[in-house]
Amino acid sequence: MSSTLKGITLKGSAELVAEFFSFGINSILYQRGIYPPETFTRVTQYDMSLYLTVDPNLKTYLNDVVTQLKGWLFDCTVQKLVLVITCLETNEVLERWQFDIECDKTITGSSGTREKSIKAIQEEIRSVIRQITATVTFLPLLETACSFDLLIYTDKDQVVPEKWEESGPKMIADSEEVRLRTFTTTIHKVSSMVAYKRTDCI
Amino acid sequence: MRNTVRSNGCNLAMTSFHVAEEEGDPSGSRGARGGNLSHHCSKMDGMDDETTVFTTLKSFKSFISKPETSQKPPDSSLAHHHLQRQYLQRIEMEEAAEKICSKTHLLQMAQEKQQMELSHKRARIELEKAAHISARDLEREVDRNQELLNRIKKLEEREAETTRTLNEQMEMNKTLKKSLEGENKKLEEKESVISEANKTNGALRDEIRELNHKLKKLDMQLTTQSTDNQGLQEQLELQRKKYQELTMKFQELQATQSLNSDNELKIKELERRLALQEQDSVIVRNMKSELARLPDMERELKRLREENSYLRETQENSNLLREETEGLRRKLERLEKLKEDMVSLELEKEKQATVLQAWENLSEMTGLNIRKPEDLSREIIQIQQREIALKQQNHSVTSSARALEKARAQLQGEVTDLRTKALEEQKKREQQDALVRRLQKRVLLLTKERDGMKAILESYDSELATNEYSPQLTRRVKEAEDMLQKVQAHNLEIEAQLSKAQEEIGTYKLQTQKAEMELDVLKKQAPGAENSSFVMNEEVSSLRQKIEELEAERRRLEDQNNILEMRLEKHNLQGAYDPTKTKVIHLRMNPTNIAKQQRLDEVEHLREECQQLRERIRALQAGGAVTSNEGTLSLPPSQEVLDLRRQLESAELKNQRLKEVFQKKIQEFRTVCYVLTGYQIDITTENQYRLTSVYAEHMEDSLLFKGWNCTPLMAQFCPAAVGYVQWDTGILMKLKLMKVER
Repeated sequence: MSSTLKGITLKGSAELVAEFFSFGINSILYQRGIYPPETFTRVTQYDMSLYLTVDPNLKTYLNDVVTQLKGWLFDCTVQKLVLVITCLETNEVLERWQFDIECDKTITGSSGTREKSIKAIQEEIRSVIRQITATVTFLPLLETACSFDLLIYTDKDQVVPEKWEESGPKMIADSEEVRLRTFTTTIHKVSSMVAYKRTDCI
Repeated sequence: MRNTVRSNGCNLAMTSFHVAEEEGDPSGSRGARGGNLSHHCSKMDGMDDETTVFTTLKSFKSFISKPETSQKPPDSSLAHHHLQRQYLQRIEMEEAAEKICSKTHLLQMAQEKQQMELSHKRARIELEKAAHISARDLEREVDRNQELLNRIKKLEEREAETTRTLNEQMEMNKTLKKSLEGENKKLEEKESVISEANKTNGALRDEIRELNHKLKKLDMQLTTQSTDNQGLQEQLELQRKKYQELTMKFQELQATQSLNSDNELKIKELERRLALQEQDSVIVRNMKSELARLPDMERELKRLREENSYLRETQENSNLLREETEGLRRKLERLEKLKEDMVSLELEKEKQATVLQAWENLSEMTGLNIRKPEDLSREIIQIQQREIALKQQNHSVTSSARALEKARAQLQGEVTDLRTKALEEQKKREQQDALVRRLQKRVLLLTKERDGMKAILESYDSELATNEYSPQLTRRVKEAEDMLQKVQAHNLEIEAQLSKAQEEIGTYKLQTQKAEMELDVLKKQAPGAENSSFVMNEEVSSLRQKIEELEAERRRLEDQNNILEMRLEKHNLQGAYDPTKTKVIHLRMNPTNIAKQQRLDEVEHLREECQQLRERIRALQAGGAVTSNEGTLSLPPSQEVLDLRRQLESAELKNQRLKEVFQKKIQEFRTVCYVLTGYQIDITTENQYRLTSVYAEHMEDSLLFKGWNCTPLMAQFCPAAVGYVQWDTGILMKLKLMKVER
């Protein structure tokens, strides 16, 4: 790890946040059953057991997104990361996991460090992931076949890389929102929330 | 006497013994002893030695006792000499004991030595015997060794010979091998050469064949090309002829063209000339007409000249007139302006006249001696001077008033101070009085206490007779004193607090009185300020109302702000963004798109499959059996179909086997029946049976029967034989003999 001894650098913070997203997205995909459970394998991270996918196509896709996100986190041009779950039959959005990223732009490129221990950050990340796992209890069941998509909100002047394209925000029409915990590395602050389509049977 | 000691030659001990003996025995016979000693250097028994030891000890003791009596002269002090003697005796005894111990040790050693010598000698003898035996063995061994060595030498000679022969044969082998190898190589070379020659042969033959082929091809090509050539040549001749004809035609054409061009040129020239002539003719006509007009033109010319001169003159006149008119117009304008100015001046004049009138009347109005403006100015100057004087007076008056006010204020301050001081003094006096009173009370209390204490002490003193009460009394006294001190301290504290409180009260009273006085002063100073207080109150109330309104508005705005913030938050949660600052991007090849694409493809695929199946069904319904080689359908056979096919095959196989078996068996049965019973029954056609006997004379002799289902009662009468046959099923069949065939 790049940020163990002296504190958190911008690069180290970007890596931490990107790592969190990688594991968080995998957890969400496993918990919501987007992919069958047998395509996931158990790993240990943040002192708890999490699930990672072994599907090669999905892995390459996630790696592409996360590496690009890491670069944008280093540049402090990314504002949100959204995981959108759509029903394949009706093409409507059923769930929307939104992660807001606030970057402290006063930190210079590679020189500044902040005093915060990795342990504390990992504690916070652990609590966030636990909360994500716990949200399964109140989210409505996804009965139909679903697929997911990752959207990134960036600054308007950000160059769009080759394989990327602009898209709409894919908001839910009639939604309930629930705010979840935040964690901060003192350089990047990530707050999470989930919005789901209101079901009629309550 | 002393016996002779027999020892085994321990010289040292002997010498010591000699010494001991010499000491004790002054007499001679040394030599005899010495001779005795040297005599006995052979083996002795231990027991004798020991006995001799003991005897010598005794004798020694006796000897020791003797010289003591002989040697010692009688002395004066007997006890002393006796002690000395005893001491000496004891010493000598101890020495003798030591010597005896050493002697015994010596004797033991001598014994051991003898034993060892004996054993030595035995060992030596044995060793000598062993040596003899070993010497003999050695001699035998040596002989054997020599024999073996001889054998070894012989064997070695043989070995050397054999090695020599081996080497020779090896060499021969090697030479033979080399020759073989050489010949092999030659053979290989020849073979290689032959193979190469063969290869070259083959290659050359192939080449020859190819060349032959090529030759043939080339010949063919030649023939074809020659034929082509001939054809082309014929064509060429034809073309040449055509060319010649064409050239001739061309020449003719060229000639005609040249003639044509000449003719055209001529035509153009003639046309040009014609045009010129026409133009000339037209010009001539115009000239004629113009000439006709000439005299009229001359007349007109004259007239025009006259007119011209006339017009010039008139023009000059008109110019002059114009200038005049312009001058007159300007004059007119000026005069009009003057008029206007005059009018305004007249108005001013009237105003000035009125003003002058007023000024002239001023003197009558004011009553002053004014007729001219100089008088007015004089008056004004006087008034101004008076004004200045008055202002100066005013200033002086105001300054004196201010000074007086200051003095007054000062005096008032002094008054207040004096009053405060007076009050303070009064307060102090009161405090002092109170203090005095308290002190007096205290004094009284103290005196009382003192008296009481004194009484107690006197009472205690009076009762001091018994010693038993004194410690208790002293204790009680101490306790009382302590109590007293405590009470006094408490009193002091309370008094201090009281004084402090009184001082504070005094100060507060002073402050209030000061404030009241200042208020009075202020009230006196500003009698008119009471009016302004109303105004102030009104202002204050209005301000308060304003404040309340603003507060209410602020609250309202705050609520609105909160509501808007909540809405913004909600929108943010839902995912709204500002398009001017952010944009949303995602990967093109994302799982949702891929899944949608897959769905569409699946749907398409399913539709196609459906279509194909429908067509197949239609074909099946229409056509019946469909061959599996249609090619369009490639439905994978389902499991049921495969099972059924397998079952079908197995059933067919079974059927086949049953048929074969039945065939065999029935054949067998029929032959057996024929052989055993002598009759053969054949089925010719349906329901007709032929019976043939083994004893028939001809092959064609047989009985034909026909059978139909009927009950036995319905037996039909027939002249021929009627037979009943009962099948296994229980139905009686009646067979009717049809005919007898011959």
